[in-house]
Amino acid sequence: MVVTLDAPSRLPSPSADPRKAERTPRKRVVRWWIYLALLPLAIIIGYFAYYPAVSAIFWSFFHWQPAAESTFLGFGNYVTMFNDQIWWLSFRNLGFIFAFAVVSWILPLLAAELLISLRSIRWQFTMRTLLIIPMAFPGVVTALVWGFFYSPNDGVINQTLKALGLGALAQNWTGQNSTALLSLLFVGFPFIAGLPFLIFYSSLQNIPTEVLEAAQLDGVGRFARFWQIDLPLMASQVRILLFLAVVGTLQYGFVAYVLTQGGPDNATMVPILRMINVAFSGGDWGYSAALSTTLFLITIIISAVVVMARKRGSDTTDGGAM
Amino acid sequence: MTTIQARKATVARSVTRPDGRSRRSRQISLKTILIVLAAVSLAPYLFMIVTSFKTNQQFADSFWQISFPLHFENYAVAWNQIAPYLFNTAVVAAVSIVLILLIASISGFVLARYRFLGRGFIYGAVLVLMMVPGLANLIPLFIIMKDLGLLNTYIVLVIPYTAGGVVLGTILIRNFVEGIPQTLFDAARLDGASGARMYRSVMLPLSLPVLGTIALITVSEVWNDFFWPLLVISDNNLRTVSVGLQFFQGQNVTDYGPLMAGYLLASLPLVFLFTFLSKYFLAGVQGGVPGTH
Repeated sequence: MVVTLDAPSRLPSPSADPRKAERTPRKRVVRWWIYLALLPLAIIIGYFAYYPAVSAIFWSFFHWQPAAESTFLGFGNYVTMFNDQIWWLSFRNLGFIFAFAVVSWILPLLAAELLISLRSIRWQFTMRTLLIIPMAFPGVVTALVWGFFYSPNDGVINQTLKALGLGALAQNWTGQNSTALLSLLFVGFPFIAGLPFLIFYSSLQNIPTEVLEAAQLDGVGRFARFWQIDLPLMASQVRILLFLAVVGTLQYGFVAYVLTQGGPDNATMVPILRMINVAFSGGDWGYSAALSTTLFLITIIISAVVVMARKRGSDTTDGGAM
Repeated sequence: MTTIQARKATVARSVTRPDGRSRRSRQISLKTILIVLAAVSLAPYLFMIVTSFKTNQQFADSFWQISFPLHFENYAVAWNQIAPYLFNTAVVAAVSIVLILLIASISGFVLARYRFLGRGFIYGAVLVLMMVPGLANLIPLFIIMKDLGLLNTYIVLVIPYTAGGVVLGTILIRNFVEGIPQTLFDAARLDGASGARMYRSVMLPLSLPVLGTIALITVSEVWNDFFWPLLVISDNNLRTVSVGLQFFQGQNVTDYGPLMAGYLLASLPLVFLFTFLSKYFLAGVQGGVPGTH
C-alpha cells in the first residue's frame, strides 16, 4: 500500500540487516518508525529464541561449566552421545510412542465418522461437546488422575480387577519394565479429545454435499464412502497431523516425568527427560547442550522435509490421492 | 476394483433392509457407541469429581459411586494449598497476554500493511520459530535466565511464554490483517489517519476475535506448561498450577478427597473458559496448525 522503500526482489539479499537501510542514504524516505515498531519483536525472539539456540550449539563443543571456566572439547560431547545407550533407548521409546499415537487415531477417526453420520444436529453438537471436554482439563491433572488409576495398591485399575475376581491380573503398572511405557501411552484413552478428532471432524463436515449426493445416487454405502470419499479428501490433513505428531512426539515428556520419571530402569526414558537429567542431575551442561542441539536439528530437518514435500505435493496430489 | 464389490454389497444391503426402520435403528446404535466413547473419555474426570467429596473410608467402601454425606470441607483444605498456584498462574498468564497482544498486534499490523527492507526476512524469522518447539531451548535458556539472576521470579516465567506467544500471535494477526479489505485503510488514510491511528481505530477493533483466540491459547499454554516452571521455580510460593499440582500430590498422597478436590479446583478456570469461549478455543487450536491458514 504505502510508499515502497525498495522492491524486495531487487535487494542483493533479503536477509540484509534491516537496520543497515537506515544508515545507507537512499532517495526515498526511510520509515524508521517501522523498524522501531518491530524492535520489541526482534528483541524478544532474537534474545530469547535465536540466541539460546545458537548458544546451545556453541556450548555443545565445550565441557560447559556455567559458573566456572569451560574447556573446549571439539566433538567430544557428540562422541559421548553416540555411545550413550540411554539416549538411543529414549529414541527407541519415541519411535514406539509415535507409532502408538498414529495408530490411536483410529479412535478419533471412528468417533468423527460416527458423529458426522448422526442426523440430528442437536445430537451432533451435544456429543461433540462431550467428546472434547477432556481437552479443557490441564494435562497435568489428566496425568495425575491416571497415575492414581495405575497406582499399585489403592489404584483404581487394580482394585477393580480384584473386585471382579481378577486379582491375579493386578500389576504394578507403571513400576515394571514390561507395562510402564504402555501404561503411559494409555493415559488419555480413548484419545478422542484432541486435535486429530477436531481436524477429522471438520474436514468431514467440509466435504461438499454434491459429492455425497452423487455418491448416494451411485449407491455408495457408508463403508465404501469412507474408503473412497472421506479418506482421500482427508489426505492433506492427515499429512499435517503426521507432521504435528512427529514434533509432538519429540516433545513428549511431562507425562513420563509425572508418572515414572523415566523409570523403571529407563523403560520410559525420552530425549527431553534425558537432556534434563544430564544437565540438572549430572551437571554436564555441555553434553546436555549437545543433546539439545541434536533435538533442535532433528526438528528443523523434519520440518524442512515436510514443508518441501507439501510444496511439491500440493500441485499434484492435494485432496486427490485417489 | 473395490468400488464394484462395495457397490454390490450396498445394493444388496439396501434391498434386504426396509429403509425407514433400519435407518432409525442405525441412528440409535450410532448414538450408543458415541455415548460409550464419551463415557470412557470422561470417566477419569467423573471419578475425580466423585472422589473429591469422599473421605478415605468412603473411598475404600465404594470406588465409583457417590456416597453421602458429601464432604465439602475437602475443597476448603485443597483451596488453601491450591490458591497460591492459581494466583501465580493467573498473574503470569495476564502479564504474558498483555505483552503478547501488544507486541504481536503491532508487528502483525506492520508486517501485513507495509513494505520495507527486510520484511520478508523478519517474517521468515518468525515463521521458522513456529516450527521449532520451545523445549529444544530449555537448557541454554535456563542458563541465560540464571545469569540474568531471574530464577524464582515471575519474569522468568513470563519471558518464554511471551516469546512463544509472540511468534504464533504475529503470524495469526498478520494473516488476519492481510484479509482486511484495503479500502478500509484507504478510506482512513483519505480522512487523514496516520499509521498509528489506523492501527488503533481500524485494525484493532476488527481483529478482536483473533486477539481473543491468542489470549486463550496463552492461558492454556501457561496453565499446561510443565518443564520450564519445574526448572526455574523452586520457591513454592511462586509455583504455577502444573508444577504446583505435582508438589501438592506429594503432600496429599494419602488424602484422596482433598487431593481430587485440588485437581478439580486447578482445572476449573480452564474448564470455564473452555465452556464459554469454546468457539475461540477451537479456532485457536486449529489455527495453530501450520498450513490451515
